[in-house]
Amino acid sequence: MASSKGKSPAERSKGARAALDPLVTDPSASGPSKMELVSKAIFAPFSHKKSDSSRILSDLAPVIMTPRMMTATATASARPRTSINASGTSGSRMDFASLGRAPMRLTLGSRRITSRDLQIVEATEELLDAEVPEPEGVASDVSLLRGFNATIPSSEKNRTRRRQMRNVDTPRIGLKKLGMNARGLMQEGEEDHEGQSVVSEEDVVMVAQVDDRGKRKARRRGRESLSAAKTFGKEELARQTQEIVRDKENLHVRRSLINSDIVEITNKIKALDDIREKLELDLLKIQEDELELDDELEGVRERIEFEETSSRHQNVKATTHVPHVAPSRRRKGPVFLPSEHDELPPGVAFMTLESHNTPITAVDFSEPYGTLVSASQEDSQPRVWDLMTGSEIGRLRGHRGPVRCIQVEDNLCLTGADDGVVRLWDLRHVDEDDWEREGINGLSNVAEEDEERSYDGEFIEKPNGIRSSEPSEIGVADRDGSCLRLFEGHSKAVTALYFEDECLVTGASDKTLRQWDLSTGQCVMTMDILWAISHPQTALPGNGIPGHLVPGASAAAGTFAVPTPPAADGSWDMYQDFVGGVQFWGYGLVSGSGDGAVRMWDMRTGQAHRTLLGHTGPVTCLQFDEIHIASGSLDKSIRIWDVRSGGTFETLKYDHAVTALQFDSRKVVAAAGENGVKIYNRTTMQHSSLLTNGHTQPVERLRYMDRYMVSGGRDSTLKIWTL
Amino acid sequence: MPTDLPYAADAEVSLSYDELEVLRLQYQKELAQSHVTVQTTFNYGWGLVKSPIRTHQVEGVRLLQEIFRTEPTRRRECLYYLALGHYKMGNFEEARRFNDLLLQKEPTNLQAQSLASLIEKAVAREGYVGMALAGGVAALGTLLVAGLIRRATRK
Repeated sequence: MASSKGKSPAERSKGARAALDPLVTDPSASGPSKMELVSKAIFAPFSHKKSDSSRILSDLAPVIMTPRMMTATATASARPRTSINASGTSGSRMDFASLGRAPMRLTLGSRRITSRDLQIVEATEELLDAEVPEPEGVASDVSLLRGFNATIPSSEKNRTRRRQMRNVDTPRIGLKKLGMNARGLMQEGEEDHEGQSVVSEEDVVMVAQVDDRGKRKARRRGRESLSAAKTFGKEELARQTQEIVRDKENLHVRRSLINSDIVEITNKIKALDDIREKLELDLLKIQEDELELDDELEGVRERIEFEETSSRHQNVKATTHVPHVAPSRRRKGPVFLPSEHDELPPGVAFMTLESHNTPITAVDFSEPYGTLVSASQEDSQPRVWDLMTGSEIGRLRGHRGPVRCIQVEDNLCLTGADDGVVRLWDLRHVDEDDWEREGINGLSNVAEEDEERSYDGEFIEKPNGIRSSEPSEIGVADRDGSCLRLFEGHSKAVTALYFEDECLVTGASDKTLRQWDLSTGQCVMTMDILWAISHPQTALPGNGIPGHLVPGASAAAGTFAVPTPPAADGSWDMYQDFVGGVQFWGYGLVSGSGDGAVRMWDMRTGQAHRTLLGHTGPVTCLQFDEIHIASGSLDKSIRIWDVRSGGTFETLKYDHAVTALQFDSRKVVAAAGENGVKIYNRTTMQHSSLLTNGHTQPVERLRYMDRYMVSGGRDSTLKIWTL
Repeated sequence: MPTDLPYAADAEVSLSYDELEVLRLQYQKELAQSHVTVQTTFNYGWGLVKSPIRTHQVEGVRLLQEIFRTEPTRRRECLYYLALGHYKMGNFEEARRFNDLLLQKEPTNLQAQSLASLIEKAVAREGYVGMALAGGVAALGTLLVAGLIRRATRK
């Protein structure tokens, strides 16, 4: 409007100038005049046409305004209007309200909109979206306002007032003053009390009866007022009583507030403690990983050396009858695992093999994801599994009694059974087809086999005791396809065996240990444990044999049988394995036997040169490395001995009998009569059990390699674990 | 749940400078120890909201929002204080939304009801001012237009 008014004089002047000087070309005459443009721009919002306004803008500044910018400005001018309409749910009234607020904003400089302002307004949406739960705990007991009133400085005002009153007024108020006060002639300086009546002692006592804390205060005041013989008046005292009650409430509020804060901090500390604990565990784990890597590196180096030497000798060396096997039990080199294993969390059973019907008695496997052989009670046919697929490949047929011990190295498998026979199997020749065919052929075939075998047995007991390998291998291949050789000689159940390279040592319930040559099948040496018991070496005086376990000479004839302590589920067995475990390295042999002794033998002489005593129950399992011997026993403990000194290095106590163990430099894994597999971390000295997806009855046997473990339990299942 | 909330009038009574200073020092001290209790935060925040200075109020509302964020059990109460804070600052729209949420949870809450009516009143007042302004502008416009027309017709 103002511009329209201003327009006319401008035009008028232009017209006048044109009239006065027609020869001068008007610069504005060629296009629309500037004035026109400005007026259009000002009226643009009223025209409500986007195209118009943007055109005007482009006319105004054709150089700087690109089309895109123009549309942007045009839409930007349109946007706030719509958002205002959208936000105001209450419609036009809110619009008027914001309009009404506008002049206030303009006039009052203090109401400048700051970024903080915007921040809190913007947060509204987010806060309104948040869930509002029912208040609980201290929030429901003490409201914020209550807490506010209890804790602000003015909450102390009344108290200070009272104190001032007492302290200021108490000194030397004479009888005269008292009397004046009583007569209402004297005004208290700072307070508004109009004490008229003389206060009696009873009043003070009444105040004091409120409660303990009040009593003390009141008593003190009572004393003071008594000593001063001063009166406040009934109203004042009543008021003070009220104030004290209120102050006490405030104190109560503050106390509950502080208590809740303490609880909160306690919780926080606990959470932080948990985090610290977890971090410490992580740290230990890193340490262990480092150790593991060191071991792995060492293994790789050994492997390099080995491969160098073997390649050097390869052409020279003739192939042996029995394929040479690197002992996996002592192998330290890396086993390259399929990648999916790495993705599994540690300590989880990720595979269950169910086929056995009775508790597992022996278990061993060639390598992670390799071949597993397992045996169970009252079952003479150990089962062979493919660990890659978890399927049963076949069975090892031939034993005439339950199999007690198994060792697998690559494709070779040795099994010792109740029939006193140890069999050597070639796991490459076990397959399902073979088994099915035999199954169809039925019992007659089995009987035939037995006959053949008994013939074989006679054959092997020929005076020279040496069996030529070739005919037997042919014979075996004809018959079974997988049994390579028999080792016969023990008169009772073979309960423990260990072989490495060409050498096999077995322990049996006939209380002897036998050393065999694997390639010839010949018994090289027999070591009599009873003889060792009755002739203890004198090297270590004072090492008496625990008499209660060894029934002397009569034990030679009698059978060894001890009831096992009940396992976690209350079940127990008659334990009859006189030799619980054997292992050797070089010429050194270690055996653990029913008399609770761990014996170290020299395989060159066949003499026990040291006996480690400490267990109070039969030794069920043992293993040793360069430094330590670990032995598990029915006495519910694992003892770790020092190989050199023969002393006990460490004793691990369990709640139930230990039936199997395996250890390395960092951990001891044990089956100790419980459903969970027990793991003792030797670095952190911490015990843990593996339970996730684990056995439903106590674990009986276990074997692990690197991070891959197989366990067999009384629930007749086999579990494959990650470690 | 017994409602223990102040009426809106309480928010208009400001604390003395010393009292606010004590609350501020307490808050700063706990902040330096990196453990601020809810009550301390509230004390300072509510003290600030009571203050007549707008920057104080803004800071106070911010602290109350902080409590609202971190303490789910205190949210119900904080709804009211936030509504009150926004009301005092003149952000009636926000005040109304917080208060409505509280009323939705506790329809019988007296303080919230009274605050709701106060907000309505304030909004209405501003609405009248706005209407008056708009009316004034319209009147002025018509006058001018009339003048122009008269001038044009006279010409």
